Amino acid sequence: MNRRAFFKLSWGTVGVGALVTALGVSFAAILRFLKPNVFYEPPQAFKIGTPGDFPYGAPMFLVEEKIFIFRDREKGFSAASAVCTHLGCTVAHFQSDNKFHCPCHGSIFAADGSVQHGPAPRALEWFEVTLARDGQLRVDKDKTVPPTYRLMV
Amino acid sequence: MNLFREIWQSIVRRDPLSTDKGKSELVFLNVWLHIHPAKVKKENMKFRHSFYLGFITFFLFLILVTTGIVLMVYYRPYPSAAYQDMKDLEFVVFMGPFLRGMHRWAAHGMVVCVFLHMCRVFYTGSYKKPRQFNWVVGVFLFLLTLGLSFTGYLLPWDQLAYWAITVGSNIGSYAPLVGGQLREWLLGGHSVGEAALIRFYVLHVAVLPAAMILFTIVHFWRVRKDGGLSRPIWKLQDPKPAQLVTIGAPAAAAAPLQTVPASSTKTYGLMEVVTGKPIFETVTPEEEEDTVFSYPYAFVREAVALMITVTGIMMMSLFFHAPLEELANPAKTPNPAKAPWYFLGLQELVSHSAMLGGVVAPALMVLALLAIPYIDRNPSRRPNDRKWAIWLFTFFVVVNLVLIVVGTFFRGPGWALVPPWVHVTAGAE
Amino acid sequence: MERRLQQLFFGLSILALVLIVAAAYQANTPTWKNYQRNFHQLEAQGEPNEVTKAAVLATPPEIHQVMLTGLQRVDRCTTCHLGVEDPTMKNAPEPFRFHAGLGSHVPSKFGCTICHGGQGLATDKDGAHGKVDFWPNPLLSKDYVRASCGRCHKEGEVPGVPELTEGRHLFETQGCRGCHKLNGVGGSIGPDLTAEGANHRAPEWLERHFLAPNVISAGSAMPNFHFTKEQARELTYYMLSLTSEDMGTYYSSVRSIPGPAFGRQLFIEKNCITCHNVGGVGLKSGPDLQGVTKKHSTEWLDEQLVNPELVYPGSSMPEYDLEPNARKALVAYLEVATPEDVQLILSNKTRALTPQDVAIEAGKQNFSRFGCVGCHGTELQGGVANPNAQGGEVPSLLHLSDDYTKDEVLAVIRNGRVPPLDNPNGPPPPLYMPSWKHVLSDEDINRIGDYLWSKQQVKKDSW
Repeated sequence: MNRRAFFKLSWGTVGVGALVTALGVSFAAILRFLKPNVFYEPPQAFKIGTPGDFPYGAPMFLVEEKIFIFRDREKGFSAASAVCTHLGCTVAHFQSDNKFHCPCHGSIFAADGSVQHGPAPRALEWFEVTLARDGQLRVDKDKTVPPTYRLMV
Repeated sequence: MNLFREIWQSIVRRDPLSTDKGKSELVFLNVWLHIHPAKVKKENMKFRHSFYLGFITFFLFLILVTTGIVLMVYYRPYPSAAYQDMKDLEFVVFMGPFLRGMHRWAAHGMVVCVFLHMCRVFYTGSYKKPRQFNWVVGVFLFLLTLGLSFTGYLLPWDQLAYWAITVGSNIGSYAPLVGGQLREWLLGGHSVGEAALIRFYVLHVAVLPAAMILFTIVHFWRVRKDGGLSRPIWKLQDPKPAQLVTIGAPAAAAAPLQTVPASSTKTYGLMEVVTGKPIFETVTPEEEEDTVFSYPYAFVREAVALMITVTGIMMMSLFFHAPLEELANPAKTPNPAKAPWYFLGLQELVSHSAMLGGVVAPALMVLALLAIPYIDRNPSRRPNDRKWAIWLFTFFVVVNLVLIVVGTFFRGPGWALVPPWVHVTAGAE
Repeated sequence: MERRLQQLFFGLSILALVLIVAAAYQANTPTWKNYQRNFHQLEAQGEPNEVTKAAVLATPPEIHQVMLTGLQRVDRCTTCHLGVEDPTMKNAPEPFRFHAGLGSHVPSKFGCTICHGGQGLATDKDGAHGKVDFWPNPLLSKDYVRASCGRCHKEGEVPGVPELTEGRHLFETQGCRGCHKLNGVGGSIGPDLTAEGANHRAPEWLERHFLAPNVISAGSAMPNFHFTKEQARELTYYMLSLTSEDMGTYYSSVRSIPGPAFGRQLFIEKNCITCHNVGGVGLKSGPDLQGVTKKHSTEWLDEQLVNPELVYPGSSMPEYDLEPNARKALVAYLEVATPEDVQLILSNKTRALTPQDVAIEAGKQNFSRFGCVGCHGTELQGGVANPNAQGGEVPSLLHLSDDYTKDEVLAVIRNGRVPPLDNPNGPPPPLYMPSWKHVLSDEDINRIGDYLWSKQQVKKDSW
């Protein structure tokens, strides 16, 4: 094509391209705008106290955070979710059989969280436990770990 | 490939745009575009006739609706939450300040443009027969614009918002008989508080926009049915009756009209066969020559006006931060407490006389505006023929502007007259 | 023309693209992200483990927020101040430095602005430090930040902040209540100070005001009390702490309620012994308090302390302006109070108290508590300027007995008195004697009378 036609083509193409891109970027920007940057909820990662606050043997149940804190004499700390994977009820831990029992539909989870009985589809989640720099234990519910994870203190 | 073509043609059923038929069908077969006529007169579309103010006002409204809906996601209309949400928009939300800024500047822009549009329509005499009723609809659109701006003003719940609405609603309460009741109905209480905020919010996001859309529909429809955009003033001349062209049947058999043979390149529409007087259009030959298809002539101009409006508002938002003052404090009146700028003229009048400024002046102004097309018995639109009307209108516009300027820049603490170049300290704080 | 218009349209499209990209870029590069990046680099420096180091450096930027529903605030300071709870950041440069000495007042539980002021909602430096227009609560400087302790710790000694206790004491003894209301008790000549701390006045202004009220606040009727710089600062601390936020329920737990020791301190401070006795030790105008916690519930006792007349109509026990925790502490003390302990308290007084002494002492307490001191002086000397009143100043009370009977004086206290004008055409004097019959019981007024009469100076040539 001749030079005039080339410029005509590119003006139009660039123009339409710019318009379409501008619309696309605007749409993407609106979507990003709608994604929340802060949550008005209790934080997903939080400190639970110093190691000395937690006993060996029977797990400590933290009501609001809905987690069990286990402290093993040999291996250390672990944190299990107390939310049943079936429909979200809070499970209870029985020392007698060292299992988690859900009162709603009878699901039973073994000591490592795996499903032994009942309608629950998945094992209970275990969360990362770390030691923060001020000496407190920190649980992060956004980070799931395998059931064998322990924090040795 | 045939499938794609088939799918495309099931959606887009017009002839190609290279054909005249296609250009017409683009307009009258398309739901979004068919408010336009298939053809427009070039001279009527000139910038220096309308300045595209009507279009710009409408585009600003579109910007306000889209940014407004998006902002609603992060705003809660309760005194305990509103200010915090404004701060969240400023600090925590992605592009929060940008979108809020666009909304605020488009709002101010819309008030200015709707006013300028009204002035333009007056100065070009475009409210005269057959467009009188559309002027009335326009006045209501103007009042709705002020209402939307006023209700929106309260929502940030800062000192500026709280006291501007307190002053504004107090000005309204001076209306005789209904004033007190009106104020209570508007505020949902005796003073601006939680009830006022939720009422203003409902008005601002639902009731007034719905009314605005309804009136806009009527306004655009009337533009079409009244014959489209008016002819510019420089094209106004008394056409000799012999020069007029009739398309369709002549009005009176006695009138010696010249008939022009129907063009073989044009298609004329037969709408329907009914009994009654025939409908016909009378135009000058040059108007007939002046006619072009809306696509692309009108659309490219509208598109440019849209882009100027959008990019203009974006730049305003990027360069001028929308203000947010301290949290609303009913116990602490700023000194002076001022109504929003478009009501400052009224506040200035009210400071001299409550009855005059709060009741008489605004009522007279609105009534006068509504009555203009019916009081004005002069059929001519040419400026030379209507000097009185133009001077009178200009006088009132200037008085209003002066009052607003005085109220904005020349009134300091205690509503004392202080020139803006003198710095006044308001007290121990 | 049409070509030009098309080009204009497309040119504007490009402009629109540029603008939206600019807006998105601006939104995506707030300054806090830089601070977070720098902090992670600092953290990574000390990290020997390569895997952890990489993880730290790759931490996605996010806004950190402490939500304090009880305090109705949200603090985002930790978005930049990332090392406040990390002891290894002791020597880090600001804003990453560790905040030593917090004890239990960690940011994750208390936020930051409750002590430091500033704008917790902001995420840029100037905005967060409150050094912007329209945020009336900027960061408190080092000189005044400890005053914030008084916002929660409203009673007793506040560890590390003796200025608060001193300031409180000055307020009660210098007669501020004569003109200013605090928590509903006091005069109406000056503004109500119950929430003075929430008025966001600059601490420096408050301090200057205490040193020279008339200079700082033109036309003020507040006399110059000739405070020292130290006293002005102490009073400023007290004022700053008066934010009238209801924090007691949010933060109180069994551990932080002051116990019987504090209750004992209050027992002495409020002079309960001038009316009450424990097992017979003390005075007998009020009931014996021994074993009272066994006879009545804690709620009943609490109510008694709040409003004695509600429980015993006609009671002459004054209303004490005590915080809920202070009342709990007093009741806790009463549970363990013994006659021996009270004997110890009494023996610290310089002489045994006769009923007359009690009345005069009570009267003196009232005179101070209800602010009479503010106008009439701690030594009853008067002298505070009162323009256009006859005599031009508040009169001394040392020679009342020359001109009035005791009953006449008691009537003035009960009914109040507007001073006669010096110039009848001039403005009314700013200060006047208020009527106290709705605030003070007759008993209290009588005691003030007793106190005044005990202080009368007899004229040299009278006989």
